[in-house]
Amino acid sequence: MATARPGWSRRAQYGLFFSFLAVMAGIIVGVILLILSLVAPQQFERVRGIALDVTAPVTGALHEVVATTEGLFTGAGNYWDAASQNAELKRERKAMLQRMVEARAIFQENQQIKATLQLRERERTTVATGRIVGSSFNSPRRFAILSAGTSDGVRVGMPVRSADGLVGRIIDAGAIASRVLLVSDRANIVPARLLRNGIPVIAQGLGDGTVSVRPLEVGRNPFKRGDIIITSGTGGLYPPLVPIARVVKLQDDGAIALPLADPATTSFAIVEPAFEPAAVAAENAPAETDTP
Amino acid sequence: MVRAALGPPRGQIGKGPSPFAAYLPAATVVIASLLAALPIVSTSGWYPDFGYLVFISWRLLRADPWPPWWAAPLGFVNDLFTGYPIGFSIALWSATMLALDLIDRRTMWRDYWIEWVLAAVLIAIDEWLQWRVAKVVDAAPPFTRMLPALVISICVFPAVAWVVSRIDGWRLGR
Repeated sequence: MATARPGWSRRAQYGLFFSFLAVMAGIIVGVILLILSLVAPQQFERVRGIALDVTAPVTGALHEVVATTEGLFTGAGNYWDAASQNAELKRERKAMLQRMVEARAIFQENQQIKATLQLRERERTTVATGRIVGSSFNSPRRFAILSAGTSDGVRVGMPVRSADGLVGRIIDAGAIASRVLLVSDRANIVPARLLRNGIPVIAQGLGDGTVSVRPLEVGRNPFKRGDIIITSGTGGLYPPLVPIARVVKLQDDGAIALPLADPATTSFAIVEPAFEPAAVAAENAPAETDTP
Repeated sequence: MVRAALGPPRGQIGKGPSPFAAYLPAATVVIASLLAALPIVSTSGWYPDFGYLVFISWRLLRADPWPPWWAAPLGFVNDLFTGYPIGFSIALWSATMLALDLIDRRTMWRDYWIEWVLAAVLIAIDEWLQWRVAKVVDAAPPFTRMLPALVISICVFPAVAWVVSRIDGWRLGR
């Protein structure tokens, strides 16, 4: 194609030359589009959303099949050793009931204290509920596909959580599906704090399913194995007090943590409105470069 | 006498290429890109880039599976469904067509090993570029984390190439 001479036929020579030009044009267009999508990702929001919608029904249907098959196997497994499991569950339930009574008392006390302090309680609302049906399985980035889209009220930038903890935030929204930037992606930085003592920390994804946590104040390492990291609500995007990850390994200046909401096993994810929409809007105004 | 005539009749006489033979290679590439819609939730990202694997398998098997300029739209489809930044596969796949044409003129002979090495180099370039693009937006893990994905892709290539060669035989009615 590049410099080959197919013979004396002018027609064939021109054909080769023009196909060479077409491929060069393809490369140039590709590079320009790539730069555009890195610098100004909002440009492609619509077309990305449409692509999500096209594949969503397939992904959703296949997900049902996979979930059912898995359910059959784990369901059968649960019958195995049922008697001892039953006893253990009963014991756990008893302990939980005691803890619940304690928690209720603490809750009441909390409300009284809050009333005296006249703290304004913010109402938690749910925008939409969806399933995590797929993911980016072959790139250094960590995205997941959520089966809820703009028709359910989902907008780009909204935080996503599950019953276990924080999942991430929306970066592409189609009509019936959306793409979530997971907590474990490198570009996802979550202001957080330690549940044990409230020390402010920063959680950043590592791109391999784990999260790196570092304290805001440099000094001694405040982490212990098993520590729970929760969101602090700083920055206004993520709501406060949502569990993010559990510390599994200590490092010199921080620790490695595993996200509590494993997207592979999370069945339902909840999309919430941005915690402080005004703050987020002001922050996003200059440039948003952390989405592809 | 042709030895094939001695065997049992296999109903191949008068069988020509399938009616969609010209479009089948491109269609299989699109289908491979659509594998990204499978409900696989991975936290490590070690699955191969199926679209690119099928793309280079076809191109290594034949010099003209599709007109060269088709690489750009095929890459666009791949970008859309896999969630890569748009333009990444367009540029990479077009450049691959060009590079393999130049290599075709240089190589004296071809065998399975040379094809596998070529594919390994192309896959490595693909993974490295993905990593480089992620680095631009400050989202790249250390490159060592990409190596398992690279090794897996290279090991999967012969299987993909075999499937593609079977599809090629079927589409040409052989």
